[in-house]
Amino acid sequence: MERIVGIDLGTTNSLIAFVDGDTPRVIPDAQTGDPLLPSVVAFLPDGQVEVGQGAKAVLADQPLTTVQSVKRFMGLGMEHVSTEDRRRYRFADETGIVRFALPSHPYTAPEVSAFILRALRDRAEAYLKEPVRKVVITVPAYFNDSQRQATKDAGRLAGLEVVRLVNEPTAASLAYGLDKKEEGLIAVYDLGGGTFDISVLRLHTGIFEVLATNGDTRLGGDDIDQRLADHFLLSDVPEALRHDPHVASNARRVTEQAKRALSDHDETQLRLEVPEKRVHITRTLTRKELEAAVDDIVARTLAPCRQALKDASLTPHEIDEVVMVGGSTRMPLVRQRVGEFFGREPLTDLNPDEVVALGAAVQADTLAGRRKDMLLLDVVPLSLGIETMGGVMSRLIERNTTIPTSVKEMYTTAVDDQTAVDIHVLQGERELVQDCRSLARFKVPIEPQPAGMPRVEVTFMIDANGILNVAASDLRTGRERSVEVKPSYGLTDEEIERLLEESIDFAEDDVTRRLVIEARTEADTLLHVTEKQLRQYAAFLEPGEEARIRAAVSALQEAKSGEDYNRTRDLIEELGTISAPFAQRIMDKSIGEVLGGKELGKV
Amino acid sequence: MTTGAALRCWRCAHEHPATLFCPQCSAVQQLPPQIDYFSVFGLPLRPAIDEAALTRQYYELSRRLHPDLYQTGTVEEKDASLKNTVLLNRAYRALRDLVSRGQYWLELQGESLGKENNRVPPTLAALVFEVQEKLAEVREAREAGKAESSKAEIAAIRTDLDGQMQRLRTLLAENLAQWVNESRSPDLLPQLKRLLSEIAYLRTLSRDVEKESEALWNA
Repeated sequence: MERIVGIDLGTTNSLIAFVDGDTPRVIPDAQTGDPLLPSVVAFLPDGQVEVGQGAKAVLADQPLTTVQSVKRFMGLGMEHVSTEDRRRYRFADETGIVRFALPSHPYTAPEVSAFILRALRDRAEAYLKEPVRKVVITVPAYFNDSQRQATKDAGRLAGLEVVRLVNEPTAASLAYGLDKKEEGLIAVYDLGGGTFDISVLRLHTGIFEVLATNGDTRLGGDDIDQRLADHFLLSDVPEALRHDPHVASNARRVTEQAKRALSDHDETQLRLEVPEKRVHITRTLTRKELEAAVDDIVARTLAPCRQALKDASLTPHEIDEVVMVGGSTRMPLVRQRVGEFFGREPLTDLNPDEVVALGAAVQADTLAGRRKDMLLLDVVPLSLGIETMGGVMSRLIERNTTIPTSVKEMYTTAVDDQTAVDIHVLQGERELVQDCRSLARFKVPIEPQPAGMPRVEVTFMIDANGILNVAASDLRTGRERSVEVKPSYGLTDEEIERLLEESIDFAEDDVTRRLVIEARTEADTLLHVTEKQLRQYAAFLEPGEEARIRAAVSALQEAKSGEDYNRTRDLIEELGTISAPFAQRIMDKSIGEVLGGKELGKV
Repeated sequence: MTTGAALRCWRCAHEHPATLFCPQCSAVQQLPPQIDYFSVFGLPLRPAIDEAALTRQYYELSRRLHPDLYQTGTVEEKDASLKNTVLLNRAYRALRDLVSRGQYWLELQGESLGKENNRVPPTLAALVFEVQEKLAEVREAREAGKAESSKAEIAAIRTDLDGQMQRLRTLLAENLAQWVNESRSPDLLPQLKRLLSEIAYLRTLSRDVEKESEALWNA
């Protein structure tokens, strides 16, 4: 059974986890032991790409060529990028899909995310000593179709098979539910670095049923940091220096540290040092001041909470437990506001940074067929519809519908010999097309016929990833029709293929490394089996045979610790050939025993 | 209605009535797409049902059908599991709530609410008029900066509408319970239609009140 691992691809930090026996575990960095990989990617002047701590270290010096919080840009077009973000990053284009202007060439958000995914995969392969190819990746529950698709694309670009996207609060509920063995109604409040989700679930005999979800994919700890940095820049830094990228990014760094410190202390020291700009500022920051500066941001999370409860037809007091997820829930102000809203103390004893990755690993284990005692029933977070006459959105699938789900629509033509029907798919809760998010345009080909004659049935299916699939069939001919998809804010299949091809040179090293690991794993298995047979079936050895096998064993042992995977492969084969007669004798004997047993049974 | 339709198991070729799993080899079966929602749950075709039992049954079937459990299965199993789960989810959504179940039952009788939905049902006319008048007053007061004094007013309207909704739901439950009776009144169908359209209208009205209520609390 091929292993599937779980990945939490976070705005601020990312993690990778697997199930060890029955227990989900996060995999730490081999050197530092830290399970968190900062979701920061630095494009260095020499063409090298750094991910994680190394990238974070150069962030203050190279703010424009280091991408952090790339998750905020997944599945977006340039028109969705705020002026604040335009100040912080350099973009390659003014319109279309978001592409970062970086030294070598522009990168889309999925490409940047792919660097993070590769770093996580490397970590897991080194730890598990086996190739890792299949993954489950978590996404904010409130991610729309484009954002989900972009996440899947990132996986593909990293050479991974994304078996499933799982909603972050749902993943957290899995880890929570399995840990606490509790049943009832729970609310998962997930305030991460860049996104906010609230999900209401019913836990019942191993079923995790999402009743409603809501959120804001542009609301998180990032906003709190930015607000605090702005507050500090405005009150303490001379106006001429406020917009200097170095000063601004250093200010963010120190205020972020101060925010963390204020989760445990009533006051802390802020120290901003940018010698080349002659900036040396030290001052005290109190928790009260922090809370006053960001209170409205925290309050913004409550409207989605209210809506989710309403959609689930519940009141705050009916919730049995409130589970806190995401690093930002460490802030006392967040805990206080959530506690007031639900009228109960939120549960904070799970590690808010790790619980999502652990849940992803558990779900990965189910998908790998290793676990049958639990099941997720998730929902689509936003209503899905199509554009109709007059720019009105006609809803086909309501938000909070359990997935997978589908709906069929019948189409015909308006003019004679029309050869195609265009379908514009949207997501959102508003009435007008212009207020909803455009997902994609689909073109369904039709055989030319008089107007109104063709009958084409289009099926809109939302799969278990929350991603839309469209299929069409001509009811007159009974033939399936291909559907041409133009994503509004994403990469087409051809573009992904091209990017994959382009990355092959770059990935040469990757491939070599994978082959080394694969050869090593195979060698280990063979060596283990051979040792066992030598011990268990010594009686079947012919004179001199053991010495020959032992020689092949030590040759292979030596080869597999090196990097030459071809030599390892050759020696695997050699050991196989030398020990084949021995293995055959063992086999004959066991068959004989089985047959013998049968004979006895008959008598 | 295809409840009695026969299926041939893709795995063991056993012929059996349309059920989710083959009675002989228990392989997951692909139900005909036009099957009614009651049959998906193996329930008799009648609109009064035990909702708690339905939920238990939904969980039980999901636990055996869900695509997550067939990731490593054959193409036939994956396909049948996905299509059946889609069907099961839709069926559960339609049947789990009294009102949506009533609407589905109406559809099965070949009827729909259609355009009538937009007209004020005569039985609600007086109520609608009264509520809209009060809403206008509340809005005026709010815009004049006197939000506080209207809060009690709006709360009273909400209580009133909730009571009306409860009354209509009780009537709807009674209506749905009578469909099993062989000698049922011919009025049952028109009554069902009227109740559903009143409920739909009341919901729209409640939404307006809800909106004003939110504006009031945010003022």
